[in-house]
Amino acid sequence: MPLRSAPLPRMAGHLSFMRAQTKAICDVRPDDLAVLGVPFEDTGAPHAGQSLAPRALRETSVYFGWHANPQFSHPVDIDARQDISTDGLHERLCDLGDISLGSEDAVHAALRAAASQINNTGACAVILGGSDHLSETVQSALPMCQTAQLGGKPRDAGDFHIAPLSDGTIPTQTSNTAMQLIELTHWRDASRPLFVRFDLSVFETSLSALCDQPRLGGCDLDTVSHWLSALGQLDVSAIMLTGLNPNRPGMGVVKVGQRLMVTALLAFIYARLGFGIAPPTRQISKESVTT
Amino acid sequence: MTAAISTSHPPLSQPGYRLFDGPLRCVGDVSVGQIGVVGMPSDWTHSSRLGTRFGPDALRRATTLLQSIRPQGASVDPDTSRRTVPAIDWLVDCGDAEITAQDVDATTQAIAAMTEGLSAAGAIPLALGGDHYNSFPACLGYSRGLAKRAPNARFGYIQIDGHLDFSDRLGAWGSLNHATNARRISELPNIDVSNMVWVGIAGWVDGGDLVLIEEQGGKVFSASDVHKLGPVEVMRQALAHAMQGCDELYLSIDIDAMDAGYLPGTGSIVHSGITPRQYYDLLDGLTDAPLGGLDIVEVSPPLDPSERTEFLAAEMLFQILRRFRTCSVTAQ
Repeated sequence: MPLRSAPLPRMAGHLSFMRAQTKAICDVRPDDLAVLGVPFEDTGAPHAGQSLAPRALRETSVYFGWHANPQFSHPVDIDARQDISTDGLHERLCDLGDISLGSEDAVHAALRAAASQINNTGACAVILGGSDHLSETVQSALPMCQTAQLGGKPRDAGDFHIAPLSDGTIPTQTSNTAMQLIELTHWRDASRPLFVRFDLSVFETSLSALCDQPRLGGCDLDTVSHWLSALGQLDVSAIMLTGLNPNRPGMGVVKVGQRLMVTALLAFIYARLGFGIAPPTRQISKESVTT
Repeated sequence: MTAAISTSHPPLSQPGYRLFDGPLRCVGDVSVGQIGVVGMPSDWTHSSRLGTRFGPDALRRATTLLQSIRPQGASVDPDTSRRTVPAIDWLVDCGDAEITAQDVDATTQAIAAMTEGLSAAGAIPLALGGDHYNSFPACLGYSRGLAKRAPNARFGYIQIDGHLDFSDRLGAWGSLNHATNARRISELPNIDVSNMVWVGIAGWVDGGDLVLIEEQGGKVFSASDVHKLGPVEVMRQALAHAMQGCDELYLSIDIDAMDAGYLPGTGSIVHSGITPRQYYDLLDGLTDAPLGGLDIVEVSPPLDPSERTEFLAAEMLFQILRRFRTCSVTAQ
């Protein structure tokens, strides 16, 4: 059972993602969504504070802990007028806590081991970063995965890039989401699982000042939610959130970055668990992108 | 040894700011048809991020500063081609209600007593929050005042908000908090849920609350509706729905309906995509509505180091009060 959020005030009690049950990594089951925090930042970041992101994301997520609050009914996406039954959420969403901090090498090794272990159980890891560089570590732990990346700097031309930060090496893609979804189905190799990198820089800068890599011409929340809902219906081994710096100078009290990320992530979680859409499946032949 | 310090300055007639730099008077001194301002510096009934207790002061400061850079006296307002009217002619700031920290009943009655006095006298109470719970005592007093002034009158209700606030209870806060204010208002004797309209609701809402509203005839316009239909059309429909069989309108302005990218200084942020221009157009749609009372809530200056939130909120007041602060160029 989940940790109850009511009548517990949001800022009180044990903090877990969306008030989910906590688990040891060895207890993760197939088809679980296993949340893992990596409160680590590298010294190359332009501002200190990315290590505070996992806690900030968890704090914001408690707002969406419907399944753990007996005083709420069920969530409705007011834009789509779509009811979501979250009855099974507490059985499949779990929080594993944070990677223990040590030397940089030790953190990378622990993250690599954890991502690999979660993947081997058949669960999907939801990794809360942290530095963008850590997503390369996760990628190395999941060598069989294709990588789809929202925002951030392109690393590999073979990955699928959605609104990347431009560095001149990756051709500019169309901003037409429908066209890009078709491109995704062509790019996708359904025999391989997917790793999703979700960097805060995918959003338009004016929506959030909490990103160390601000960019103009980014996506709005609807577009990012749409993408994450589509990706959540695929065979995803891990999704990693990066780029949030809750401690940007002078902006410590402005929490719009974590709210943006968690709101969009909710679309992924609901899609991954099959709420409101056809249940996702790990069987290759049935994989499809529902938009 | 510390030397004695002497200072000399002109006497301060009214220290501090008043809304629109208007006069500071008692509730009993407000005339029929005037706006009577009541501050509600209370955020004890918010469940997470506090700071709205500094909202009334911030709104007073921001409106006064904005007023000072706008045409004054008999000038013509460039936005409306109408003549500006000095605040002293249409608005009285009655100061703040007595807030008793952590005693929600005492605070409720103190706020309601002020708005009741204004409403019963035929003035229009404008309550400055505070978190959104305080909208309930403000409307409670308005409702009581309306019942005294016109026993058979009924009022419609429009809430511009990112959230429904229609829960019956919220965790440790029980039934009186910033998530239940609209529910409590719906229980007042001279309003019906079928005359309640929500505008700007965003993201995920509680399904049970939504069903309860719509089953009883209430109307909900989402932020997407504002984008698709346009703010002018949404507010036209909202006003028509709210005013069916009603004599007056009570308007609750929760600033958090505006996208948090523009307006981060509020307790419960949403990413609605509603821009400042859209929000002001929504309010423009109510310029000629039969306003009986209104409130503006959830301005939390400590949560926005840039201070733009309080100025965006002040501009909302400039929009909704246009009918009062300007007059036709031919008017005497």
